[in-house]
Amino acid sequence: MTIDDRQLNELIVESQDLQVDALRGMRTTLPDLADIREDRRRQPVNPDEIIRFNANRRQLFRTVSKAGAAFGTRGLLAGGFGGLLATLVASPARADEALDIQILQTASSLEKLAVGTYEAALGLPFVKNGTGQAFTTIRAFAMETMSQHDQHKKAFQDQTTTLGGSPQDEPNPTFQEVVNDAVPGLTDPIKVVDLAATLEKVATDTYLLNLSALEDGPAKALMGSVMGVEAQHLATLRAVKALLEGNALDLITVPPAGPAVDLAKLPGAAGSVAFPDALEQVGPVAEPESGAK
Amino acid sequence: MSPNPETETETETSALAQMTGARVSRRRFLVGSGAVAGIAIVTAACGDDDEDDAADDAPAGGGAASGDLAVAKLAAGLEILAVDAYTAALTAATSGALGAVPAAVATYVATAKAHHEEHRDAWNAVIAGAGEDEVTEPNAALKPTVDAGLAAAKTVGDAANLALTLENIAAQTYLSAIPALTSKDAIMQAGQIQIVDQQHVAVLRFALGMYPVPEVFQKTDQAATA
Repeated sequence: MTIDDRQLNELIVESQDLQVDALRGMRTTLPDLADIREDRRRQPVNPDEIIRFNANRRQLFRTVSKAGAAFGTRGLLAGGFGGLLATLVASPARADEALDIQILQTASSLEKLAVGTYEAALGLPFVKNGTGQAFTTIRAFAMETMSQHDQHKKAFQDQTTTLGGSPQDEPNPTFQEVVNDAVPGLTDPIKVVDLAATLEKVATDTYLLNLSALEDGPAKALMGSVMGVEAQHLATLRAVKALLEGNALDLITVPPAGPAVDLAKLPGAAGSVAFPDALEQVGPVAEPESGAK
Repeated sequence: MSPNPETETETETSALAQMTGARVSRRRFLVGSGAVAGIAIVTAACGDDDEDDAADDAPAGGGAASGDLAVAKLAAGLEILAVDAYTAALTAATSGALGAVPAAVATYVATAKAHHEEHRDAWNAVIAGAGEDEVTEPNAALKPTVDAGLAAAKTVGDAANLALTLENIAAQTYLSAIPALTSKDAIMQAGQIQIVDQQHVAVLRFALGMYPVPEVFQKTDQAATA
């Protein structure tokens, strides 16, 4: 079965309207950021900022190492993060660049990677040609989420430029490697959803840590705003994965790609699987310089 | 700094102390709730270097501590409101007042209630750590609206829609507050809770037959103010 074009178009139109509204709001912050850029031109290197960055990096190391060890036991990307984390932590901070610009460039690189990964997933034969409501819903969700990530990337790029940096339009090389390693093993929808959830969690947790590292209020607002959306992507993917694992394909449906889910048929676990912790627990993250130019 | 916060000396200055200019023990900060484990991740990861402590704990703006405490109190009041609402929903569901309650809804309500209890305790730990009385009352501005919504709820869908409103308000309040917070621990905690509340929103929307991720950028138009 192919995607219902009419319903998909409705979804895309609705999404575009939301994106226009959202971008309009985000661009109102750009004049503030331009002022910050002018300030920084007069004082391009802030020693306190470098100290703050290095302190954060040490803090990040211990958090990420602990989370990465736990993550590695869970399968799909096991083995990929050990060396990866060592590389992340070993690489020196580029002290000659403003931290906020690095953070925004790296965020752009994660969004670029997400767009490419969803695009690749949609091209997998069993995703592209899968039949039934579940596959229709999964494809529609992937397309919409890809579009949202592209808008996130553009917003981060805009902020980067406004702060005087060069916009990043390449995928994050560190996590691109992780995706490349995972692609040959993507043999069923559960593994695809798991990979997407992995990237969404990396983005969510990276942006969470960025909130404490960013100096600029408007940049924090953007970071937090995108973080909240990635968290919802993650929750949705966790729910979809659980339904796939339970072979409850008829329950993977959401308007406008399909009818509303039959709430009475949802298993009890559907009420908790999307949020395993009361407070988000940080897993593997992209360090600020990992996607910097 | 010791990796074990329980061994901290009573005179160590924490980020929360800097929120209010007071010196309090990290023990006092951390023992309030298991939910504070999220903060413990940050503080325990600071290592043994005193210079690191200073860098990590210093408010980004170097002052204006009272603003953070105001946010903590606002957040605690919202969390109490959510706990009360979920408790009332559980009572109504148990009594049959909402009709048949699907298994997923029952699990969700119990889970979300427990989450908000942890959030409440986490913020009250912050408040108590700053030497102030914990918040024990729900947000007064929103309580009448929630009470009216609960009284009018006749179905699971009614209750879920009310929960959706509350979760949106909470998530947007945290997002709105984060750029103004000065303590790194407070920023981290607000962000950790914002994420979970946004996930509550996504699942509620899915259950109610709505697209789970309706916005490209999370909004703040429903955020509560102190």
